[in-house]
Amino acid sequence: MAKSTSIKTRSESFFTEIGDMALFSGRFFKEVFSQPFEFKELLRQSYNIGNRSLLLVGVTGFILGLVFTLQSRPTLMEFGAESWMPSMVGISIVREIGPVIIALICAGRIGSGIGAELGSMRVTEQIDAMEVSGNNPFKYLVVTRILATTLMLPLLIIMGDVIALFGSAIIENLKGHVSYMLYFNQVFDALSFSDIIPATVKSVFFGFAIGLVGCYKGYNCSKGTVGVGEASNSAVVYTSMLLFVIDFIAVFVTDIFFEI
Amino acid sequence: MGKSNSYKAKVGLFVVIGTVLLIAILYFVGMRQHIFSSNIQLYSIFENVNGLQTGNNVRYSGIDVGTVSKIEMIDERNIRIQLMVEDKISRFIKKDAITFIGSDGLVGSMVVNIVPGNEQNTTSVSSGDTIQSYSKVGTDDMLSTLSTTNENAALLTEDLLKITQKILQGKGTLGTLLSDTLLARDIRQSLIALKNATQSTSTLVTRVNAIIEQVNYNESTAAVLLSDTISASQMKAVFFNLEKSSKGINSVTQNLEEYLTEIKSGKGTFNHFTQDEALSKNIDSTMVNIKEAAEKLNANMEALKHNFLFRRYFKKQERQQKREAD
Repeated sequence: MAKSTSIKTRSESFFTEIGDMALFSGRFFKEVFSQPFEFKELLRQSYNIGNRSLLLVGVTGFILGLVFTLQSRPTLMEFGAESWMPSMVGISIVREIGPVIIALICAGRIGSGIGAELGSMRVTEQIDAMEVSGNNPFKYLVVTRILATTLMLPLLIIMGDVIALFGSAIIENLKGHVSYMLYFNQVFDALSFSDIIPATVKSVFFGFAIGLVGCYKGYNCSKGTVGVGEASNSAVVYTSMLLFVIDFIAVFVTDIFFEI
Repeated sequence: MGKSNSYKAKVGLFVVIGTVLLIAILYFVGMRQHIFSSNIQLYSIFENVNGLQTGNNVRYSGIDVGTVSKIEMIDERNIRIQLMVEDKISRFIKKDAITFIGSDGLVGSMVVNIVPGNEQNTTSVSSGDTIQSYSKVGTDDMLSTLSTTNENAALLTEDLLKITQKILQGKGTLGTLLSDTLLARDIRQSLIALKNATQSTSTLVTRVNAIIEQVNYNESTAAVLLSDTISASQMKAVFFNLEKSSKGINSVTQNLEEYLTEIKSGKGTFNHFTQDEALSKNIDSTMVNIKEAAEKLNANMEALKHNFLFRRYFKKQERQQKREAD
């Protein structure tokens, strides 16, 4: 009996949270087009989210390209298909691995950061103070952050993809004696718009999801300082799950429109 | 204010780099797909496109010159494909060029290959032209043929298995040959005999060769027989006569046979002589009488010698014989 009540309570709270999040995102879309626009804050958040994440994304992307090529080489060599390496790595990184891995890293860095920052502001009643003073904390804190993640993440992913391809090209050049020009020629030969456009569109949704969940968890933080950690942690967990759900939907939709 | 401008510059740089990279990637990919270059449309009609898709490459003599832009059914059997080919390449493609659908390697995607046709035709293609196509054997057709081959191979294997089993069981000529030890021994002995015979034949041939080499073609009989054309014609005449004689002998033999048949059948005088016992006895008694008569005649003759009338004649005869003897 107690168990069924617990499940009922949990499912209720789960759906309540989804509903709250939907309302939260609805409010975002309402606020984003209404004046005044907080450009300065948007710029600051873009710098924090974009520029400050570039090193992490770059290092991760470079290692991703290196490792992916090193791991795939022996298998392709067994089939005598080493010449397919640039095509395979290019398509894999641009279409799927690059966006998902970089989005997960950003979920860890940016999502948790936003959750903790807004959570602490909520706990220290800074948000309440802004409301009392007549400012719109949602517009200033939430809209700018969600917009920044939505705009910056696709750029981070593109840069991460390019760095990963460079990493892969270095390994191919060292191990397979493939020139950089030949490598990138083969990569661009293999790629098509149906690989790049869906991946870019998908990364916009990834950025939106990271900003939305992080802001939601931080903005609705409670239970004092414990809640801040919880908000930060749950922001990463929820975002990671949501990223895979979005990825699945994106692949499904891409399959319908582009016939992968 | 200063800090805000610093943010602006850094974020601006970040956005510019990201956007440039995205545009560069799109541009290079677009270039590869001949989207940003000036193109002409060519058409080709196939009965089977073997999984060709829009976006697949078009190659002219192995160079990527365009992409497949459209694939559509135009009737129950035929599929028309639209090819976007670079305008700058189109002057090298003549109107009698041939298209066929191939594969980019063993596991690669499909490509449309354009190969030059007759070199004498110098008219280049223009936008909207239809190039004649050539349908190669598709994978399905190959698999179908392979399936039939497999079935035949299975039947052959089955038959071969039966034959092998029979051979192993010692059935049939081949089985007997393989399993019968006595036969094997006989064969071995036969082979040894054959070998000996061959050796003997070889020796004989050698000797014959030596004899032939020693033959004096001018003087010996064998040489005359072998080389003299006059003797050959004479021999031919002899053989002709011999044949004629043998025919005569044959007819005589036949007559004799008929005669003997007649004799055996009891006809004719000879048979009367041979078959009639009374006649035989008469002849015997006649012969006895003749003998006695001859003895008596001898006695009479002796008496005549001593007769004075004939004595002179006999002495004259003795003298003449003596003279002849000398």
